[in-house]
Amino acid sequence: MVASDLPPLLLLSPLVFALVIFAMPTSGRSARLIELLHLVSIVGTLVLALTTVGYVLSHGTLVTFGDWLMVDPLAAIFVGLIGVVGCLTGFYSIGYIRHDVAHGELTAVKQKLYYGFFNLFLFTMLLVVTANNIVMMWVGIEATTLGSAFLVGIYGKGTSLEAAWKYLIICSVGVAFGLYGTVLTFANASASIDPHQAVLWTSILAHAQDLDPTLVKIAFVFVLIGFGTKAGIFPMHAWLPDAHSEAPSPVSGLLSGVLLKCGLFVIIRYYAVTMKAIGPEFPQSILLVLGVLTVAVSAFLVFVQHDFKRKLAYHSIEHVGLIVIGLGVGGPLGIAAALLHTINHSFTKALLFCGSGNVLQKYGTRDLRSVKGILRTAPVTGLFIMAGALALAGFPPFNVFVSEFMVFAAGLDAGYPKLMILVALLFTITVAALVDIIAHSVLGKAPENMEKSDSSWLSLAPMGVLLALIMVFGVAMPRPVGDILRQATGIVMDQGHATATATPIEHVAAKK
Amino acid sequence: MIALALASILLPTVGAALIALSPRSASKRLGQIFAGLATACLLVLAYQFSVGGKIPAEYSVINFGGVEILGFGVDTVSVLVACAVVGIGFLISIYSGGYLDAGNREHPDIVRRRYFAFLSLFIGAMAGLVFSTTVIGQLVFFEISGVCSWALIGYYEKPKSLYSAAKALIITHIASLGLYVAASVMFLETHTFALSAIGGLSETAKTIVLLAILVAAWGKSAQLPFHMWLPDAMEAPTPVSAYLHAASMVKVGVYIFARALMSSNGAPELVGYVCTIMATITLVYGFIMYLPQCDMKRLLAYSTITQLSYMFLGLGLSVFGSQMAFNGAIAHLFNHAFAKTLFFLVAGALSYTTGTRMLPLLRGVLSKSPLLGIAFVVAALAIAGVPPFNGFFSKFAIFAGGFEVAQQHPLLMVLLVIALLESVGSFAWFLKWVGWTVPGRPSEAVAAASPVPLSMQIVLITLIVMAVCSSFIAAIWLG
Amino acid sequence: MSGLQIVNGLAGLLIVTSLLVVVARKPSQSAKFYALQSLVLVAVFVALGSATNAPQLYVWAAVAFVTKVVLVPVIMARSFGRLSDERLGSGERISPAVTVLLAAVVVLLCTLIISGVTLPAAAGIKPALAISLAHFFFGLACIVTQRNILKQVFGYCLMENGSHLTLALLAGSAPELVEIGITTDAVFAVVIMVILATQINRKLATLDADQLTTLKG
Repeated sequence: MVASDLPPLLLLSPLVFALVIFAMPTSGRSARLIELLHLVSIVGTLVLALTTVGYVLSHGTLVTFGDWLMVDPLAAIFVGLIGVVGCLTGFYSIGYIRHDVAHGELTAVKQKLYYGFFNLFLFTMLLVVTANNIVMMWVGIEATTLGSAFLVGIYGKGTSLEAAWKYLIICSVGVAFGLYGTVLTFANASASIDPHQAVLWTSILAHAQDLDPTLVKIAFVFVLIGFGTKAGIFPMHAWLPDAHSEAPSPVSGLLSGVLLKCGLFVIIRYYAVTMKAIGPEFPQSILLVLGVLTVAVSAFLVFVQHDFKRKLAYHSIEHVGLIVIGLGVGGPLGIAAALLHTINHSFTKALLFCGSGNVLQKYGTRDLRSVKGILRTAPVTGLFIMAGALALAGFPPFNVFVSEFMVFAAGLDAGYPKLMILVALLFTITVAALVDIIAHSVLGKAPENMEKSDSSWLSLAPMGVLLALIMVFGVAMPRPVGDILRQATGIVMDQGHATATATPIEHVAAKK
Repeated sequence: MIALALASILLPTVGAALIALSPRSASKRLGQIFAGLATACLLVLAYQFSVGGKIPAEYSVINFGGVEILGFGVDTVSVLVACAVVGIGFLISIYSGGYLDAGNREHPDIVRRRYFAFLSLFIGAMAGLVFSTTVIGQLVFFEISGVCSWALIGYYEKPKSLYSAAKALIITHIASLGLYVAASVMFLETHTFALSAIGGLSETAKTIVLLAILVAAWGKSAQLPFHMWLPDAMEAPTPVSAYLHAASMVKVGVYIFARALMSSNGAPELVGYVCTIMATITLVYGFIMYLPQCDMKRLLAYSTITQLSYMFLGLGLSVFGSQMAFNGAIAHLFNHAFAKTLFFLVAGALSYTTGTRMLPLLRGVLSKSPLLGIAFVVAALAIAGVPPFNGFFSKFAIFAGGFEVAQQHPLLMVLLVIALLESVGSFAWFLKWVGWTVPGRPSEAVAAASPVPLSMQIVLITLIVMAVCSSFIAAIWLG
Repeated sequence: MSGLQIVNGLAGLLIVTSLLVVVARKPSQSAKFYALQSLVLVAVFVALGSATNAPQLYVWAAVAFVTKVVLVPVIMARSFGRLSDERLGSGERISPAVTVLLAAVVVLLCTLIISGVTLPAAAGIKPALAISLAHFFFGLACIVTQRNILKQVFGYCLMENGSHLTLALLAGSAPELVEIGITTDAVFAVVIMVILATQINRKLATLDADQLTTLKG
């Protein structure tokens, strides 16, 4: 196999499996076979994703398919994320969906469709992050909406259909803005370079200085509105809590953990172009304002929610806000921090959504006021939720602490001490909210006559892996991850690989 | 030696994990064994360290891209404080074994794994904090200890206790922003997190860092304006209160500030003024709050706040050049740990045996239970600073050092006089309660008291001995 | 009349047809008007192709004809005919007269915005460009002002037509595959919206967006 085959293979694998799953007959016996196909697909995707990341790390950027597909270190971070979180939530799905089928929530047909769309969804996300063609990037983002809208509404209940509808309309409309931004960027670039090149992100970045500054600004605003909708940035976030709370829990984990980040990924791509074309001041001030607003609004909304998954959804908005702040603060430390936080938040949020899935199946409700004593009725799940909530609240030795601290330090470095303290105080509100989950739902008096039984190992094993990842990233981030973060930061700053320094932390040292 | 220091951090942590994985019946023993092992390690460490001539040593543990993230250091102060916090942790583990059982008249309980797991983790985190040589390390253990205290304060899972637990966590978390600021500023200025770099900072940066650490310290040590969490935290099981308010949680604040001052190579006078003035204000506030308290634990809570103010006063005075005040503050930290633990555990023993801790209901303790009576007297006198008990010597050092530097700084003289008045006042107040509670004929509640379990008796006796000896140990150790 | 003037003139027709789509009483009627509008769009592509001598735009026109004039309207007409909601009424938040006024204001604003653009590609087709942008926002306005969720689907289609036109005007030289990708997405979007709308109608017996408010906060 040639290395340049990797990206197409990575894309094709989940797509082909999705189609095969759709084509399967739906009889009682084929359910196990579909699960097996799904399992092969997600593991295959994981292996291919990690191989690709490994190749990029050792050999540098992979470009193929007439330069339309590209995996540079920045993309590699997201490819890895989709591979890992996709595989774990996909594995978790098996036990979860079985339970739903057994309890009559889903039919066999829906089960098949679930796995089909799940893999299709993975494909669309991979399409976004491997695209070098900016229009294809847009196509991919739009496709993720289409692929996941069905997953959101899969239960066919009134509320889930409502959520799916809002999701579809708001995101389609939002992403249409993204198309405008894309077209403007393309038109802008094709004025100075060959149209077949002007559609490629790499050439746009290379010729960023020749772009018309006004159009670049307009395009960036459109892109931010468009893909920001997908990322859940305030004030375009309205769809997110509904969709994330109504989707099946593993899908919620995937939506929160990875899909939001795909939106951010596209924004980061345009951010790099914009910074190079017109300097960092304009994009950074917009990002900072939006980021702080996002954190401020969501912090209070997190607190007042009683629905477990809605609380988590608002939490995702808040963390997206923090990532946007990291980008807005800029500088190598800020961008590296934002990227690291992207990874860290994915793991923790996936863990907690899986946990919420176990709780939902155990208690039959997501209302935290009636969920009590998880630690007594389902000890392992309770422990996982407790660890996940503490991690998300930013306590050491978990991973979120590291990246939150880095964003904070980057903000101080860039000269925003008041803003950073404000943000940190806003985050304290969510610490209170998360501690509240532990105090009243994980602990507390278990309902009478509820027997003590945990979810099956199929559900618990992926959560264990996620928790292990959270710990590893908190205590000792693996060296390759540091390398790839550094290289990705170099790309966003457009310094190329050679000039970038050894670690994100050393960026600061090098700058002085 | 580093191996021993590391062991004292890791053993309780491993113990916590083991407790979480083992059946509930084993949790009590496991917690005691691992705390005991950690204590033993530290005693050996202390011995080796003093035999080796008390040469400070540092070791980095985690480095990231050439920057030290986590490192541990052994020196005179850290070894002394570590012995106190881990040793008392061990004593608390033993005491808890007796306290948390069905015979408890105030809170009958079966021991849950959660209790010993978090207590054990707490001991490990305290050891880690004490030995840390980087701001990041301090921050990490600061936050871990916050989580542990949250879990332990809310142990009974009543709405009130859960509320108090969350309150303690949130307030100390807000204060921890000070450490975030300090770590960030230090890193951006010097590209290192090592505490020793504070000395090399520019005057402005040094002031910012020290004040930021001071804010974090106020949070943990329940000084104004962050004091609100401490009285509420009395919802915790009493042994936990003893640990939190005598040896661990609140001492974190004093200790990190002391560490910062030690590394600062001469702190700006502004820091000294802020520190001493706030300490005096808290002192007066705490004293006024003594007066309406009837609940023994709440009285002790406010007494803790004022005693911590004395330590901050001593540290603040040391900024003006008094090594004596600094040593006094460290010695007071050490002494107060034993005296206050004793006092809390007496309170715990009283509520265990009588079912109440309301002082007006408790009379004639001495005749019913001589041990508790004596312990009550010793603890009260030690806290009030009466010789020959330990509190006197360290307070004396703080005052002596203070008056020395106050010659040049008239404002300090005013503060010291106020502190002295408080000292007299609290002596009178504690004497009043000793006179009410200890002698005479047993009141109804005391007369019906059950016997004190053996494990609790042993711990009380050890602490009575330490309440007398600890100041001599500290004085000899600190030279 | 030069080729580009034809383009601009036809673009004007787009606004008229989109008004028809919005104010039509029945969704199935709207679908017909939408087909008509798409036909105008195809004509714009052809005119633009001949005016700028860009043969690939003929391909665009062919693709658009198949998908937007035939496929999507047929899907919509067939499925929307079966859906009904008696209580909804017209489902308009604002009267048709106000809608027309709104459209005029949007066109005016977009003309002002576009007049500031200095791209060489935009010279000569500024009116059409303004209209494409206006069309986009008009579609957005349709989504906001219509309570009927089927009308919201049309709103999305109008937005999509607007951006499609912008794409053709500014990025007619882009690789064909790009255009195909975008069109495919749009078709799938409509299909999925139709499926969802059908499910909602079946499950909740409503087509009123204001009834979809169970989830809050």
